[in-house]
Amino acid sequence: MKILVFGQIREETIEENTLGVINKLANVSGITVIESALLGGDVSNELIEELGKHGVNKVYTVKAPELEVYLSRPYVKSFLEIIEKSEPNLVIAAGTVYGEDLIPRLAVHHGVSCAQRITDLTVEGKEFHFHTPVRDDQAMKIYKIEGAIKFATSRSGAFFVNENPSGGLPDIETVEISFSDEDKLVKHIEIKKAERTVNLKDAKVIVAGGRGVGGKEQFQIIRDLAKILGGEIGATRACTDVNWIEETYEIGQTGQSVSPDLYIAAGISGAPQHLSGVKAKTLIAINTDEGAAIFNYADYGIVGDLHAILPILKQKLQG
Amino acid sequence: MKIIVFIEQIVSTQVKLQGVDYFDSSRVSEDDLVINPSSKNALEGALKLKDDLSAEVTAVCVRGLKPNKALREAIAMGCTDAIEVVDETIHTDDPLLLAKVYVGILEKIGEFDLVLLGVEEQSTSSYAIGAMLSEKLGLPSVLYAEELEVIDTGYKIGHVLEGGRKIVVMPKKGVISCSDSQYFTPRYTSMRGILTAKRAVIPVWTAAELGLSSNVVGKEAASLVEVSFSNIVLDKESYMITEGEPEEKVDNLLSKLKEDEVKLGV
Repeated sequence: MKILVFGQIREETIEENTLGVINKLANVSGITVIESALLGGDVSNELIEELGKHGVNKVYTVKAPELEVYLSRPYVKSFLEIIEKSEPNLVIAAGTVYGEDLIPRLAVHHGVSCAQRITDLTVEGKEFHFHTPVRDDQAMKIYKIEGAIKFATSRSGAFFVNENPSGGLPDIETVEISFSDEDKLVKHIEIKKAERTVNLKDAKVIVAGGRGVGGKEQFQIIRDLAKILGGEIGATRACTDVNWIEETYEIGQTGQSVSPDLYIAAGISGAPQHLSGVKAKTLIAINTDEGAAIFNYADYGIVGDLHAILPILKQKLQG
Repeated sequence: MKIIVFIEQIVSTQVKLQGVDYFDSSRVSEDDLVINPSSKNALEGALKLKDDLSAEVTAVCVRGLKPNKALREAIAMGCTDAIEVVDETIHTDDPLLLAKVYVGILEKIGEFDLVLLGVEEQSTSSYAIGAMLSEKLGLPSVLYAEELEVIDTGYKIGHVLEGGRKIVVMPKKGVISCSDSQYFTPRYTSMRGILTAKRAVIPVWTAAELGLSSNVVGKEAASLVEVSFSNIVLDKESYMITEGEPEEKVDNLLSKLKEDEVKLGV
């Protein structure tokens, strides 16, 4: 079976989740060929080599100014052309904002639906089985797709990146695409990169707050506890979006990925977008909602108001 | 200006139904049904435009056990009117079929300028509908919008991006999916809105009235086919502290951490 992977580029490297998907595919029995498509204003040889190292057999490249930044129409047009050339059994993208934009559109053009945010992929006979967690990861739906070509996205953080890849140089095919004004209805203005002045990647202890913290001033208890524990603070996007805390502290799919020894999640519901960036040895969750998804992932959970719990915890740790 | 907002009614996540039971409609009461928070973000986006541009906002609900309840809440928030689409033949678990139903609804509505929806269809954990709908309509779209500004040519939109935010401009007619951001934080219903909602006449459309048969939008037409559905058995048990005063809970936690030799702090 042949797979075509959306080779997503982020900050001039192959996006990490994309490498995770490729590494996963390389270990699924029944998959014999992995191809990838790299689109951009320019596509460097280093990117192609990186894909090859991780197990990609062939790379399609499309270079055009219209592809400098992801926009739906130029990317859909390019991919439809590449799919015709590749004739894959499955087209898959890591579940980034761009991946989740592209895959459903391609599926529509092929008259089929798509599987989304899968956490596993298996082959049963000649069928792909797409494993999709639902209800805050309490239940698993396994889907198959009826159609000549299947389409899917993976959940961000679902698949690990092989740290020591050993693949060789892939074949390369350059594809020429021309774009019309109709392809440029949505125009890119700018990308505002979040300031990353604090590196949380190596933090051993993180105390993180979510919407339940309730405000900018209330974040002080998160800061205080982190200071006592000698750790860093973190937050969900909901908190950085309303400026309760600086955006550098955002953790999750659109923020930083962390792997501390201890992660204290206070007032965090446990959305996959946040948890995909957290791989903690020990996770303590504090939330008023007993049914919050965060408790499914917590090693220790307190059902209660963080504003009552954390000051007492702070006091006892100080004492 | 006419804005259509597609909303979804879901079972509240506060309901204490775990795993597959959560999806068992026989276990759910009407009180458990709420508008998907993601749909409420879209409603807020539309209502902001209504405030600024005197737009007409129509809420449409296809998904849910009691869509009428969700639509009355949408009107109470400020929507101009609402349409309920109820038909057992419609298989809404497949996002492509749902997109076909939405296209059918828009064709029956006729003129419209903008379609808004939430980022996520929560009952199926689907993020595809915005992209699929815009592709079916052949209209430009921006997904994961976090903020929206009206400009002469259309909209200037900031959308979620890994590591930041991307700013784009989109023409006036298109599809936007709205994310959970400060800008799209939903307003509460007003007393006046509640009274309007009580009096509102909400038309009910069927698949046949949309010109859609079961071989187009029914289960037999689905390309996304469920093979199995089961509870996930976690390989670890959480130590949950639910009882006691805050201090007792903290003491309980600290003593358990000590017992398990978990180091607090660096």
